Amino acid sequence: MAQLQHKADQGAMAVDRITLEVIRHQLVSIPNQIERNIERTAFSPLIYEYKDYAVGIVDAQGRLVAQSKGSLPIFVANALGTAVREGLAVLGEDGIGDEDIVITNNPAWLGQHLNNVVAYTPLRDNGVLLGFFCVLVHWVDVGGVVPGSCVSPNSRDIWQEGVQFPTVKLIENGARREDVFRIIAANTRFPKLLLGDIDAQLGGCYSGRKEFRAILDRYGAEAVRQAIALMWRNSEAAVAEVLANAPEGVYSAMTELDGDALGGDVRVPVKVTVTIKGGRVTVDFSEIGEKVAGPFNAGRNGGAIAAARIAFKYLLAPNTPVNEGDFARLDVVIPEGKFLSAPADSAIGHSGTTIPSVVDTILHAMAKAFPDRAAAGHHGIYGVHAFSGRLPGTAERYQHLDTVSGGWGATAGADGPGPFRSNGHGDVPDVPVEMQEVFYPFRIEARRLIPDSGGSGRFRGGPGVEKVYHIAWPCQFTAAFDRVHSPPAGLAGGYAGRAAGVEIHRADGSSEAFTKGERDLDAGDRVVVRSGGGGGFAPAWTRPVEDVVADVRLGYVTRETAAAHYGVVIATDMTLDAASTERRRAAIAQEVGRA
Amino acid sequence: MEKHRYLIAADTGGTFTDLVVYDRIGNTTRFGKTLTTYGDLVDGVLDGVSGTGASLADAELIKHGTTQVVNAFIQRQGDRVALVTTSGFRDVLEIARGSRPVPFDLTFRRDAPLVPRDRCLEVDERIDSDGAVLRPLDLDGVRAVARAIRAMEVDAVAVSFLNAYRNPVHEQEAAAILRDMLPGVFVTVGTALTSEWGEYERATTAAANAYVGKRMEAYIDGFIERLDANGFAGSLYMMGSNGGAISVPHALRQPIVLLESGPVGGCIGTAAYARALGFDKVIAFDMGGTTAKCALIENGHFDIHTTYYVGGYEYGFPVRTPVLDIVEVGAGGGSIGWIDAGGSIRLGPRSAGSTPGPICFGRGGEEPTLTDANVVLGRIGADSFLDGKLKLDVEAAREGIRRHLSDPLGLGDVDRVAAGLLDIAVVTMTGAIKEVTIERGRDVRDFALVVFGGGGPLFASLLAREMGISTVIVPPHPGAFSSLGMLLADARFDVSRTHVCPLEAEALEELPRLLRELEGEVLGNISGDLDPGSVRFEHDVEMRYAGQKHAVRTRLPERLNVEEIRQAFEEGYRFRYARDHANAPVEVVMLRVSAVLPMAKPDLPGLVGGTVGSKAANEPQYRIRDVYFSDAQARIPTRIYDRRDLPAGFVMKGPAIVEEYSSTTVLGPGDVLTVGALGELRIDCSQDEVI
Repeated sequence: MAQLQHKADQGAMAVDRITLEVIRHQLVSIPNQIERNIERTAFSPLIYEYKDYAVGIVDAQGRLVAQSKGSLPIFVANALGTAVREGLAVLGEDGIGDEDIVITNNPAWLGQHLNNVVAYTPLRDNGVLLGFFCVLVHWVDVGGVVPGSCVSPNSRDIWQEGVQFPTVKLIENGARREDVFRIIAANTRFPKLLLGDIDAQLGGCYSGRKEFRAILDRYGAEAVRQAIALMWRNSEAAVAEVLANAPEGVYSAMTELDGDALGGDVRVPVKVTVTIKGGRVTVDFSEIGEKVAGPFNAGRNGGAIAAARIAFKYLLAPNTPVNEGDFARLDVVIPEGKFLSAPADSAIGHSGTTIPSVVDTILHAMAKAFPDRAAAGHHGIYGVHAFSGRLPGTAERYQHLDTVSGGWGATAGADGPGPFRSNGHGDVPDVPVEMQEVFYPFRIEARRLIPDSGGSGRFRGGPGVEKVYHIAWPCQFTAAFDRVHSPPAGLAGGYAGRAAGVEIHRADGSSEAFTKGERDLDAGDRVVVRSGGGGGFAPAWTRPVEDVVADVRLGYVTRETAAAHYGVVIATDMTLDAASTERRRAAIAQEVGRA
Repeated sequence: MEKHRYLIAADTGGTFTDLVVYDRIGNTTRFGKTLTTYGDLVDGVLDGVSGTGASLADAELIKHGTTQVVNAFIQRQGDRVALVTTSGFRDVLEIARGSRPVPFDLTFRRDAPLVPRDRCLEVDERIDSDGAVLRPLDLDGVRAVARAIRAMEVDAVAVSFLNAYRNPVHEQEAAAILRDMLPGVFVTVGTALTSEWGEYERATTAAANAYVGKRMEAYIDGFIERLDANGFAGSLYMMGSNGGAISVPHALRQPIVLLESGPVGGCIGTAAYARALGFDKVIAFDMGGTTAKCALIENGHFDIHTTYYVGGYEYGFPVRTPVLDIVEVGAGGGSIGWIDAGGSIRLGPRSAGSTPGPICFGRGGEEPTLTDANVVLGRIGADSFLDGKLKLDVEAAREGIRRHLSDPLGLGDVDRVAAGLLDIAVVTMTGAIKEVTIERGRDVRDFALVVFGGGGPLFASLLAREMGISTVIVPPHPGAFSSLGMLLADARFDVSRTHVCPLEAEALEELPRLLRELEGEVLGNISGDLDPGSVRFEHDVEMRYAGQKHAVRTRLPERLNVEEIRQAFEEGYRFRYARDHANAPVEVVMLRVSAVLPMAKPDLPGLVGGTVGSKAANEPQYRIRDVYFSDAQARIPTRIYDRRDLPAGFVMKGPAIVEEYSSTTVLGPGDVLTVGALGELRIDCSQDEVI
């Protein structure tokens, strides 16, 4: 990890190891404290409830030192450091004053939808730049053609998705730049909400800087530098040890995204090749699809690099606080112009929504090298579904944006867990049905697990969820679902999970199923939203008979699937037909042997 | 009723049962400590009482705290439960809320629900979000469900319907049928436990109450029987998680109110102490064997929260019950130090507990713990732990730290590594305290730190100095402080109901009626020897700026008009967030009614009189021991005092150590200790000293 080694590391002045350990614990705890502060003071449910933010410390070159526990995995990779690197390129180190706070959402650098705005402030010791304290917050609306800016499935370029802030000072020498605030307020549909959130974001930068300074005052810059180097070195060493025990080789996997109406519904290949060699991992995206016409693109940093890093963290270092050292052994190859390295003028409103599928595909490729750590595919999508319109009575504007929870993949030792949101989400709780019914003009008639949705296997995939909405007042409905043609993959001979989908059943008796689009709904219409199930692990007919009987009794698996996939025959009175089961399993085994 | 001589508190913990007996005639207090007897928990209490020499026949009341309810959940040793929900929502427990608090674990899963899916049943009914009946309750459906449940041979049934918080009539009708058709089965209803919104949280709450209903009934009935047999003629009260004593009938109906029955004692004691000493802002800090807990107490009051995560936030499930706002972190005396995959030192959350315990206990523990580090450094005396009743093996502890920590790190200085383990514990604990204060918009430096539990006084000076706190208070008997606090508890009831409306004159017209209803609910729970005439009500309302999530709890003014309520809200909001939003609309989210009924209790000087400074001399004796201090990075010859020798008014400078039966107080260099009038050790940590 030569590029991560500090001068101090060679030992100009050796700080004792225990002190470094104490500093390390303190650095990791700062973003967690600040995160609490931001959640407490934010106005938008996207932040306090959905946790669409990231808080962290990066070094003077943008390398990640520590990031808060609640930050979404999708940001863990590199959003904060990329923002800082852009600022250094544009303003130079000397152009960012001690009391400045700079913001950016520049798609050319961050490569994520324009709502993701990073604010950062420098951390200096006697004039020497040590790093930056950074807070990324999803701004609730930054203009563009639809409320919320990023949810339209039909935008065709970046300008339809809102306003850009390519490295702009919001605070200069400690003073608010009111002109910039006026521009922001004029370019959002929800100025009160957004300005309240920005206050929380700036407050986070100030408090984070103060906490960091307290550590500096106490231990000195040299000790802090050495503690950071130690964190990186330790994280890299842990990954190196895992890699040292993995078989070298070239591994690949392929998933297809469904495509959208703007692109003629042409499927988008996600073919990933992973090379493990010499203690390093290369993720090669050369064979993935080109940039698409609609908003399902991302830039290189927010797309390819983010996905590779998330997968890397899940598989190789899941239990330690994240920092740059986790990724020192990772190389990413991607040509320009792919849907994960789209040019800066591309539509990227849904930049995050493809990432869970890409992460799944990388994990699937690497599964062969890490059979004990791997999991079958998870439901794999955000599954954005949004209701918007005006409330009956007050005619007040509302928008309810939700994503799905679905099944996760089985592993070599356990059934798939869930239902949870995608692997790009972390601690993001669903809004209770009872709360939704108070605020929005619809009722939810059911929220239940879907039988047979988890992929069959020796270990079964986690089940998907079905929600049924009964619309009580006219509204607009937007959906952006995917992975119908390429459902969550099984592993080691396990079945795939069932795909997600959306159906509308009109009051007049007509109905339609679709995955991406916008529809007007009327009172009395019903919307059925289904999430996918996780993939199964290992052949289903090797699952212990009593486990399958229990699955049927508990309603996770139907009698039909028990017979067809598991070779377990259960009579209508729910008792096991042992003789038929033995015959059926023998037949499946023979079939498999022939194949 | 004639006044009896003794007031008794019994705190049954995981390892020890602590007893405090207050003698009203002699104005004296006696303490007892017995090993918690797992075969029969009541034995531990009765043995403890007889050990103090008090007679149960002369006792007026017993207040009892127990960890039994929380243990039944953690060990999954509760009753067999069925759940009945609204049609379409039987999976409410398993679907939970879709979140993964551990972000990068592909195998993350929550603890299994208390009720498996085949015992979750649906009935057709629907209330809408305004409380109107959309579909009537299908009575035949309820009867069919009752028959199915009969075949399942369950101990208990939980009923939780969608939107029942707005209108509980269907829940009540269904429960009546179930009770009628399932004699001997414990039937519990979600809205009888909490009237707040959130269908998942109400369902887990109902399931949890059902899970412990019958076994707590058996335990409490058995307890009363044994007390009766021993001539006890007074009243038994259980300690509720809300920091108040509650009546037996209440505890039998709602056993989940006992979830945090044990830890609340220390907070009540801290509040009483803070009031008596004139501190309006204190942090109660309790450190035991497996965890450290802290709570903020301002003007003698603590916050009550309504959600408690059984098994922790990450993996556990929520229970909606009024519970003292206590934050817990995995750092206790038994917390184990270890080296992770990347070669870094980590501490906990695994604990050696009481078995096998720390290495120095010599009971088979092999991994180094915080207690071992304290012993190695001379901070805990090898011959003075529990008054010398348990000799500690310093060399084994030193060897353990060398083998498991120093050697793998390639560091020869075992003292330095042991001190590092303490420093890391301090980072973990201060992190928790800072989160608690920051979250409430408070500056931690404005608070005094009240420490108790076996470990609190050991770490007090380190914690205070780390956070910039200048005053530390060590109350008398820190190891038994929790049971002592129980003696000081009043009876207390907290009820709440979700009620969402704009803060506007028209919407407020409903408020008085709703508050009376909640008061009625409280009065219905008052029984035993409590006098309903002595009740004192407090009305709070939770409000927020429309659109925000976090509501601010505000005491309702006498006159319920929009201006005064808004003013009270904004005052509270500014206090917490240091700003307000003058033109933003405000909405009401939740109504809360608390009731306090005074109970017989000792006065504070009497409680500590005669037990502190009992052998006090003006020039107290001391011994000398070499103790390692991080600031000096060396061992310093240090004076060791016995707390009983220290008279009120005694002043000394650290470094020094004060030992007593259940704890050890460490004064760092520069600390100044004064023994206060209530027997408390007051430590000024604001001075630095260059060594």
